[in-house]
Formats: sequence, C-alpha cells, structure tokens
Amino acid sequence: MSSEFTGEGGAKYCAYTDYAEGDYVEGFPATGVGAEGVERDVWDALYSVDDPEMPISIVDLGLIYAVGVDAETGEARIDMTLTYTGCPARDMLRDDIRKAVLAVEGVESVLLNLVWSPAWSVEMVTETGREDLREFGLSI
Amino acid sequence: MSVESLSGPTDLSDREREAVELLLRRMADDEFVLADRYTEWQVRAPTIESDIAIANIAQDELGHARLWYDLLEDFGYTEPDLIWERDPETFRHSTLVELPFAEGDWADCIVRSYFYDEAEHLQLHALADSSYPRIRDRVEKVLGEEDYHREHAVNWLRRLVSSDEGRRRVQEATDRLFPHALTLFEPARDAADAEAVIDELGVRTRTLADMRAEWLETVTETMTDVGIDLRPPAVSDDGSVDADALPDHLGRDGDHTEHWRVLFDDFTGAYREMELHEATRFMKDPDDE
Repeated sequence: MSSEFTGEGGAKYCAYTDYAEGDYVEGFPATGVGAEGVERDVWDALYSVDDPEMPISIVDLGLIYAVGVDAETGEARIDMTLTYTGCPARDMLRDDIRKAVLAVEGVESVLLNLVWSPAWSVEMVTETGREDLREFGLSI
Repeated sequence: MSVESLSGPTDLSDREREAVELLLRRMADDEFVLADRYTEWQVRAPTIESDIAIANIAQDELGHARLWYDLLEDFGYTEPDLIWERDPETFRHSTLVELPFAEGDWADCIVRSYFYDEAEHLQLHALADSSYPRIRDRVEKVLGEEDYHREHAVNWLRRLVSSDEGRRRVQEATDRLFPHALTLFEPARDAADAEAVIDELGVRTRTLADMRAEWLETVTETMTDVGIDLRPPAVSDDGSVDADALPDHLGRDGDHTEHWRVLFDDFTGAYREMELHEATRFMKDPDDE
C-alpha cells in the first residue's frame, strides 16, 4: 500500500474542493422582508425552525420561496424547496414547519407546497445564514 | 418553446394523462430499480471513496425516483400502488437496471452506470422544455445532481482499463450489458399510442430514436477511446435497431428477465412479511393529515 503514497505516478488530490457553485436567482429565496400581520408572524415562526443537521434557520438556508395567508380561511400557503432531492429529512423538516406555522395565531391550516424551481444552490443562503454556517465550521 | 403548455395533473385529458404517466413510469422505475441495485455495493466497493460515491449516487437516484413518483401521486396513486403492492409485471424499467452484478465485478457497476448516465443526461435535456410544467420544473435540480455521475463512471472506466485484467472485465461487462442498455431507448410496445403522444405533445422534446442515435455515437466514442471494442448495431431509417441486437426481454413493456422477480420479491419482502398495507414511516407524513 505504501507505494500509493509516494506521490509518483501522477496521483492527484481530490478534484472537488469547491462546492460553492450555483447561480444567483433574482428574488429568491423569500425572506419575509416587509411582511405584516399574520404573515409576519408566520415568517417569524419559520425563522424559528432550524435545519435538522446544522444550526441555521430554514429561512436563512434559503428553503422558503413564498408565504401567503388567506385572510378569510386562515390557510397559510408555503412554497418551499429542499437542498437535495434525496434529502432524508424531508418529512421531518416538513413536520417541524407545519407545527411551527400552525401554532401562529390566525392560522387555521397549512398548505406546504414542495417546489424544485428555481433549483436551490448555496447562492440561496442569506448573509446571516452564511455567518451561522461559518460559525458552525463550514467554509462558505 | 414551440409546444403549448399542458394543464396541471387534474385537468389533463385521458390521452394526455396516459402519455405523461407512461413517461413518468419509465423514468421513476429506472431510477428506483437502479438505485436499489447500487446499494448492493455499499460496504463492498473497492475503495472507501468509491464506496461513499456509489452510496451517494444511489441516494441521488432514489431522490430522483421520488420526484417522478411524486408526480404520479398527483394522479391519485399512493406509494403502495406505485411500488410495494404493484404487480411486478407492470414495472417499465429497462432490463439494464435490473440485472444482478456478477459477484464483486466493479467493472459491471461502472459500465452500467456509464451507459445509464449518458442516457439519462440526454433524456433530462429533452425534458427541460417539456410541455408538462411539473416535469419541466424539476429538471434543473436533477441535472445539477447528475453531472458527477458521468464523471465518476468515466474516471473509473479509465482507471479500470489501465490493467489487463481490468480491461478484460470492462470488455466482458460491455458485451454483456450493451444489448440491455439499448432497451433504455425502446418504446413500450404495449403502449405504442401513448409513446407517440409523448412526442406529439412535446412532453419530451426528442424522440427515443433521436436520443439513441446520439447516445450510440457518444458511448461508442468513449469506449473506443479507452480501448474497448463496441460495435454499434444497425439502425433502420425509422431509428429502430435490429431485433438481433436487443435482448430477449425489453423491460419497457413489463416483460423482464428472471432476475427482476427475485429483486422485486427481495425489496418488497419486509412489506409483505409484516403484512403492511401502507409504507412504513418513522413518523407521520405531514401531508397525510
């Protein structure tokens, strides 16, 4: 085995050292700037939900694309995405979000709509989110 | 975009729905069955890096299977309908993805992955302007997760052919798998009308024959470049390949090799033995409330 580590024979380091790819998409993610009333409270509830694997709010991670509350029925509609199609925390995360939003006064029901366009990339992470991730030890 | 957009899942005509459903089943079944086969390599791949890589690729393909199965659920199907309680003879995956790996034959895994991922790449690009918005909206995310699959396969192909034994194994895997890989582009013969409607309505913007022509060119060039003998089959004017070049079972029409039933019984075993009637979850699906 030791011969593999002599550095001879053109061995190279792993080519994947930069994970920061992706394009900035105008208007995404949504962060709740300017939201008022019940919608403001829904945004605050969403900010309180952390990603299951990292200490970062799902809003700062860029998972929330749109929030709307129907004033008459009290239905909160949330368009959200996931960082990865094979995300194993999909149901757990959605359950956390549902519970947090249902606890908001004025919300009677929650419609969670999972969307994949525009595709999430690290460009979706907010400045606050980046600081949280750096503090956690990720290079971003 | 020249084609008119189709409506949402509940507003499609029967004809439109049959075409969308056929396309989704072809894709979802391919991804799901291939992912299941890949997991056989977990803790058995030749290096720790390749072990992690193949496990991750399996997880990607499972994620993509889920995206397409989700769109079938729009039509009212449940997960047991689509997988656990489904008649195995209605699965539409290509026979390439169901074949068992020869024991310990990493070359088989790599060649299979290469053939499959080149085909998937072409198909995803042919869906980027799909007339069905719910397919179209998912393509970019899937494509972003696919690029390194091909890179992984090609890197390993080059590594494997650098020794005599490796080259022999890659050649054998190529000879064995190539006829099955051709079925990736075979139409479902029991649903010829729906296949035609897929093209007519622009649910997919390239025909199977058109994609296969490009795929044949690409894989022949790559294999030849690494010193592997691969002779593309004769292709008729209508784009169909010579029947002699195809395997006995095509998969797309529900006709599978004897290996499929074994694999199906295996992955549905726990579901049947525990007499389940719905998919088990560690927790309640928030959408099922």
